[in-house]
Amino acid sequence: MQSKHSPTKWLTYFVLLVWAIISLLPLYWVFSTALQLPDYVESDPPKMIPMGIVEYFTHPENRSQIVHDTFSGFQQLFNSTNIWRWFFNSAYISIVVTAGILVLDTMAGYALAKKQFPGRKLFFWLIIATMMIPGQITLVPLFIMVQNLGLMNTHWALILPDLSMVFGVFLMRQYMLSLPNDLLESAKIDGASEWKTFWKIVVPLSKPALATLGIFTFMNVWNSFLWPIIVLNDADLYTLPVGLKTLQDQNLAIFKLLMSGAAVAAVPMIVVFMSFQRYFIKGLTLGGVKE
Amino acid sequence: MSSSQATQLPEQSQLDAKALPPALRRRPSLLREMWKQRAAYLFLLPKLILFTAFVLIPVIWAFVLAFQEYGVFGSEWVGFKNFTSVADSEAFRTALWNTLKYTVVTVPLQVILALVLATLIHPLGRRAQSFFRGAFYLPTVTSMVIIAMVWRWVYNYRYGLFNYMLGFLGIPAQDWLNQSNTALWALIIMSVLIPPGVGIIMYLAAMDAIPDQLYEAAKIDGASGLQRWRKITVPLLKPTTLYLTMLSLIGSFQVFTQILLMTGGGPGHATETLVTLIYKTAFRDLEFGLASAQAIVLFVITLIFGIAQYWLMYRKAEE
Amino acid sequence: MIYKKYTKVFAVLATAAMLSVTLAGCSKDSASSSKQETANWTGKITIWDGPRWEENGNKYAWIESQKKAFESSHPGVTVEIVQVPWADMNDKLGVSIAGKAWPDVAPVDISGNGVNAAFLKQKVLEPLDDYVTADDKKDFLPNALDAYSQDGKLYGLPGGMTVHGMLLNLDLFQERNVEPPKDGKWTWNEFVDDMKKLTYDKDGDGKIDVYGLSTYIKNGYYESWPFLYMDGGRPLSDDLTKFTFDSKEAEGAMKKLADLKNIPVAPKEMGSGDVGGTWKAFSAQKNVAVEPWATWAIQAAQKANMKNFMVAAYPSGSGKPVTIGGVGGWMMFHQDDAGKKKVVADLMKQLTSTEQQVVTAKNYSVFPSRKSAVDQNPFADNPQMQQAQKLTETAVMIPKQVNWKKIDEAIQSQLQLVLNGEKSPEDAMGEAKKTVDDLLTK
Repeated sequence: MQSKHSPTKWLTYFVLLVWAIISLLPLYWVFSTALQLPDYVESDPPKMIPMGIVEYFTHPENRSQIVHDTFSGFQQLFNSTNIWRWFFNSAYISIVVTAGILVLDTMAGYALAKKQFPGRKLFFWLIIATMMIPGQITLVPLFIMVQNLGLMNTHWALILPDLSMVFGVFLMRQYMLSLPNDLLESAKIDGASEWKTFWKIVVPLSKPALATLGIFTFMNVWNSFLWPIIVLNDADLYTLPVGLKTLQDQNLAIFKLLMSGAAVAAVPMIVVFMSFQRYFIKGLTLGGVKE
Repeated sequence: MSSSQATQLPEQSQLDAKALPPALRRRPSLLREMWKQRAAYLFLLPKLILFTAFVLIPVIWAFVLAFQEYGVFGSEWVGFKNFTSVADSEAFRTALWNTLKYTVVTVPLQVILALVLATLIHPLGRRAQSFFRGAFYLPTVTSMVIIAMVWRWVYNYRYGLFNYMLGFLGIPAQDWLNQSNTALWALIIMSVLIPPGVGIIMYLAAMDAIPDQLYEAAKIDGASGLQRWRKITVPLLKPTTLYLTMLSLIGSFQVFTQILLMTGGGPGHATETLVTLIYKTAFRDLEFGLASAQAIVLFVITLIFGIAQYWLMYRKAEE
Repeated sequence: MIYKKYTKVFAVLATAAMLSVTLAGCSKDSASSSKQETANWTGKITIWDGPRWEENGNKYAWIESQKKAFESSHPGVTVEIVQVPWADMNDKLGVSIAGKAWPDVAPVDISGNGVNAAFLKQKVLEPLDDYVTADDKKDFLPNALDAYSQDGKLYGLPGGMTVHGMLLNLDLFQERNVEPPKDGKWTWNEFVDDMKKLTYDKDGDGKIDVYGLSTYIKNGYYESWPFLYMDGGRPLSDDLTKFTFDSKEAEGAMKKLADLKNIPVAPKEMGSGDVGGTWKAFSAQKNVAVEPWATWAIQAAQKANMKNFMVAAYPSGSGKPVTIGGVGGWMMFHQDDAGKKKVVADLMKQLTSTEQQVVTAKNYSVFPSRKSAVDQNPFADNPQMQQAQKLTETAVMIPKQVNWKKIDEAIQSQLQLVLNGEKSPEDAMGEAKKTVDDLLTK
């Protein structure tokens, strides 16, 4: 529409860049503070870059000390907190739930999309209805239930309710409605069993929806906070967000340490995002995945 | 091929039905039909069991709990007492008022910001588009716990980035999170400055779907860029706007994590919101019945807002 | 081809899921407790503890060594430690009790939370009178035992006592030529005069950067409260039926404390800052000369290489000198099995033995609650702890009211507004009274 170098275009770029910087600044600040030399963490005015980078060149005689100080937040984090444990807990719970959700929701979505069985509509509307109800309503009953089942302070208390979320069923159903019926029927005529049809034809064809569902499930479980702080007591069982909260609650006010912890928790999601960006984007336009 | 599998073919089952006596032909018995479709139930079963146990029963239970007073060694029925306590409670009114303030400011700003940014991004080249999409979406995939921690640090009275930035504008330093007249605003500012990544991406997709001919035609009619945007883009994006507003509305009614981590609802009750109140009522005061009643009231309020907003936007659209 | 690759990933994920599910299933313990009432009960005891002092990077070393000792003296008994951060301890305990999933033993600090009274009301605490001999009872300091007693029954074993006192950075006192209070005692006016001298512009840029006093207001923390007590004000009447923080004595003291920021001898953050930031200002940045703390801070300051500091009393007003004390100890939660009850009591006795009280006193800066431990003089080489010990004579406890947690919140949230200068003490306490009166009649 406009010529390549029109002033409007430059203005657009300028506005967008400024806003993007503002948006990314807090995230940058996490890493910048985590890597800041301890003496500069609390300085007025704040230092915008980790001063180790500057001092590395201005004080070549102190290089090893400067490098050590730059990473001392992480060192303290790894030595004096359970961060690896929390990281491991978060990772394995997220993977288990994601894998489970993919299996369960694909199966259920397939049944709802491609099978004509009595009760099909009932189940579908039940799912739609519960998707509308805010999670806070089930907080207390779920808590009492988890207690009664003896699951309190175990990872089961996180995994089972997460596996029960219905959004994925809805997503998979919507996606599978578009799969051609002929293909499924010809498979049956060829003598493929129900399971084989599902596994060899439906699952491969649903790959884009599966990728989206997997990513969003992983992200939601990795970031989940409210429920884990309620059901986990033992510091060894904490997930990363809960562990970070305790770090903050311990009232140490050591921002370098806090931000190092935040950085450790942020990196995996950033990596996941960078590698699967197109699925994130696709997922959002596939029917508004994010909660 | 085993016969049981064959019967699952639709054609086959119709054939079966025809073989039945005429009375049963039109409405085959339910059990029979269910047996024929047993594979479907098997596919559904695992999820259904979990769903019933951890979603359906808890939802129903919540409505039961709201009429009970929960005790460690037994609960008792109290009728509508929990709901009348909610209505009488000053804490609930404060929390509701704070939540409304937060919602009324953040929701429109988030949606408008998403629309404006998407409008700016849309005409750019592919690379620039994907760069900005990524830049604006990245903060959204970061855990709110991390965002809250860093913003707490950003708002630090002495060493925080925020006061430093405001210093350039000549605005005196404030202890943002610890004064009751600024704390809620600090949270609002933060939620507006977290870029509306979801919104931008959805708007961009919706803009892609608008046919170019519409713009060409308007151009021929002499409409300016802004006019084309107002008369074509914005109206055609209405379904997206509605969806995003709804999403944002639900999110801001349930705002919790950043408040728990940044102010804990204080100072005083200046940043207490409905969900922090529910959380405290349930898991600090251990009044499970009352908390359930509060959660149900929250649900109803969200519902009313959602319906009102839907109605407003569509009535306007029909004018 | 892509499909094939995909199904592989799918299969791997599914296997991973099943594996971890099985693993998680194995790690979950089968809490079996024998129902027979034998003296030699065997099984598992769950104990909660928070991080204490650090040994080789492990802040749970003490409780772990206690676990080992107990398990070897009680074959067949295993002790499971649940590590709970102190900040979460009270809320987590409350939640677990509401969910009927309490631990067998947990540390319950009487000073801060008043949860013990709420636990009592819920009947989830076990009385311990049958397991503590009369001689043993005599060895505990009466006020420590009293803190865990209700209606003539003993519901906990005290492990140590704490008290709040003022920590004075003597380097700053010397720098400003201020004489520290003699015997650690000062009146309000002397205190304010000293604070004025200690508040100054250190680097000469025209801005004050060292302040006399700072502290904070936070639910369950009472560092600032002895100031409010100094003219005789108290939060509740002695019979716990009336809210009395709206008395002239209490509101006057609040005003005096809030006014310190206007003089100014206290930084803007006083009242609103967090615990860590306040502590750091005193111990690391050294830009506050005096801060009130519970006794744990003495240990922390010594470890932070602050050699030149002393412990003084809170300034005295028109009331008698007073500070707030606390008792830390262990409580046993509801047991069905009498045999287990005895074993759990044994564990509690081990944790609060004379020997262990001396160890905790030396490492964790709490005062022993046993006379026999006091006699061993654990603070012989610790002058600051000796100074703090003198304050215990003036210590009073936080009211033991069933709803104290909520009362505390109602008061503290208003106090914060007073210190912020956003509300007058009268308005704030009027507001608090509404909530508290309600809670007192419940």
